[in-house]
Amino acid sequence: MKMKVAWAALAVLAVTATGCGSDSGSGEGSGKTTITFWDNNGGTRTPIYQELIKRFEAANPSIHVEYVGVPIASVQQKYDTAIAGGDTPDVGGVTTSYLANLTGQQALEPADEWLAKSSVNGKLATPMLDSVRKTVPDGKLYLVPGTSNMDVVWYLKDKLQQAPNTWDEFFKDADDLTKKPDEYGYTIRGGAGSIFQILAEMYSYSGVPEFFDASGKSTVNDPKNVEFLTKMAGLYKKDTPEADVTNDFPKMVAAFGTGKIAMMHHNLGSYNDHVKAHGKDKIGAFALPTGPGGKRTVVANPVDGFAVFKNSEHKDAAWKFVEFLVSHDSNSYWNQQTGQIPANTEAQGDSWLQGLEHLKTAVDTLNDPNTQVVSPPYYLPQFSSITKADTEPLFQKVLLGQMKPQEFLDTLAQKLTDAQAEWKKATGG
Amino acid sequence: MSADVMIRPRTRAVPAGTRRRKRHDPGRVLRLYVPLGMYLVFTLVPFYWMLVFALRPAGSTDPVPWPITFEHFETVWNDIGYAVFFKNSVIVGVWSLLFTTVIAVMGGYALSRYRFRGRGLFMVVLLCTQFIPGAMMLIPLFSIFKSLGLINSLASLIVADTVFNLPLSIILMSGFISAVPFTVEEAAMVDGCTRFRGFLAIVLPQLRPGLIAVGSFAFIHTWNNFLFALMFVSKQDSFTIPVGLSYTIGEYSADFGALAAGGVVAALPVVCVFAVVQRYLVHGISAGAVKG
Repeated sequence: MKMKVAWAALAVLAVTATGCGSDSGSGEGSGKTTITFWDNNGGTRTPIYQELIKRFEAANPSIHVEYVGVPIASVQQKYDTAIAGGDTPDVGGVTTSYLANLTGQQALEPADEWLAKSSVNGKLATPMLDSVRKTVPDGKLYLVPGTSNMDVVWYLKDKLQQAPNTWDEFFKDADDLTKKPDEYGYTIRGGAGSIFQILAEMYSYSGVPEFFDASGKSTVNDPKNVEFLTKMAGLYKKDTPEADVTNDFPKMVAAFGTGKIAMMHHNLGSYNDHVKAHGKDKIGAFALPTGPGGKRTVVANPVDGFAVFKNSEHKDAAWKFVEFLVSHDSNSYWNQQTGQIPANTEAQGDSWLQGLEHLKTAVDTLNDPNTQVVSPPYYLPQFSSITKADTEPLFQKVLLGQMKPQEFLDTLAQKLTDAQAEWKKATGG
Repeated sequence: MSADVMIRPRTRAVPAGTRRRKRHDPGRVLRLYVPLGMYLVFTLVPFYWMLVFALRPAGSTDPVPWPITFEHFETVWNDIGYAVFFKNSVIVGVWSLLFTTVIAVMGGYALSRYRFRGRGLFMVVLLCTQFIPGAMMLIPLFSIFKSLGLINSLASLIVADTVFNLPLSIILMSGFISAVPFTVEEAAMVDGCTRFRGFLAIVLPQLRPGLIAVGSFAFIHTWNNFLFALMFVSKQDSFTIPVGLSYTIGEYSADFGALAAGGVVAALPVVCVFAVVQRYLVHGISAGAVKG
């Protein structure tokens, strides 16, 4: 009897295993073109893409899109493995943070010619297009922008009535809003992702316009940046929780969600989490304050968009899908759901965006001619490792008082200067 | 000192267990139960928090999950797709368990019962494979599976996980088989059994703790394997639980309720497997580990 049960179970498993994984072949036999699309931030965005794919397939009955959601934390490794194994998708979600790595492996198809003939030509935000082109040595458009983000400071309206304009006001507010033992004016991101945030804060304070000077030397250790970092590190444990030294963004957002922290620097992307935790009316956002000069300086966030892969056998269908995703309606829908800035300029004027205070602030700041945008060197192949594995532990030392801000910024600047020199040599610049 | 001992009246002989129950030993409580209790709290608090996040409504900061909500479980099961991921994980886990156990028994028997040239070296090579991280083998394995047409199929995960489970499983199983005296098998053969029949009738029944140890090790390792599940599969309906779990942390936002609910769903089978097999597992691993 036992043996019979065992054999029956084995037979069931065998049946399930034979049905696992192989292509159903839908589309091939019916004359449809099937393209695969990898979402570089699979999960919460999956239903948004499923809706857009439904709309696209209804408008293009001859094309079937197969969606694959890739978890954000592993997307680079997934692309690298797929490129090495020659099994890339037709279309992939890509950001400028790893665009240089993908183009370095000759994996992507430039979209300049397609865009020139497209209905969305002239309707995509110029700063985003420029940011993409600056990321690669040949200046081509390997990524069609779909969205961008901006760093803001989220705050609780019941604790802070008037958003600060300058960093001096900000430091004063952080101090005033701290009520020991468990209420804090601010929270510092001391763990994963800390460097990008501190860079954004330093440049908005110092107003330094470029990451490198004319001789290729990094401006990260500019005296004004050092001054700012010294002030910010001084907040640690005084006006922030002690646990901040290991804060990555989920911990930071969760801590802000408890209502014990008045202000938190993150970006527009965490809006839905704050609404869930506090309700729409209780949260506000302001752009990073200005430094002593009064000029607004913004460090450009990575641009997120779509790329057609070189190995694609259906490049025209793939481009059609990309074009659809960045068209007015699709781009507007996508960004409304995620709470980010649309790349499509027509979508930027939509009424839903005007009704969201934080997004309107971001769009107005970025479109303000007086705003100075500093582009980080995403094109450097080592940029990610320098700003993560190499220097995040050092930043923690600064917070803990084990390293001086000047020493930390000198180290970071040296690494960036060396990487820039190497890149210039490699690209003949 | 010795005088004290001499004048002390003899205690009445009572069974040892009864005496232990009656005597209150504060030192024993301090030495044994306090550290054990602390360790238990240290181990269980994260699980408690996982349950709290999974069962309390979004936005709540209450340390007690009340009122209880199952909305996060609905999110992970229906919206994130755990229904499909769970089924895939079961298929991959069970097949990997079966293949690993059967092959480990065969390999372990050969290593235990036969003396052949290169046996020692083979054991060393098996051990050395444990030092190779899975990430290093990704691209070669990807190319092999691609040429075999196994990419995007659960079969690739079953094969890869079985291969990575085997070295330790074979070593463990060989230790187990060595613990069964060969003379018993010989006696069966003298009585007319073939070697295979003798193995089935005499050795296999005594390997139950080993089979359970190796099987559960293979299942749990496969169940938790994220890397292969993500890299060898690029079809939404072929992903497994660990990939689904990572969906709950996005680039800019994290759904802690869904993450915790997903963690509960992911941990439940592993906890159940442990609960059922733990008495065999401890014996199994220790017995397999000390025999050469």
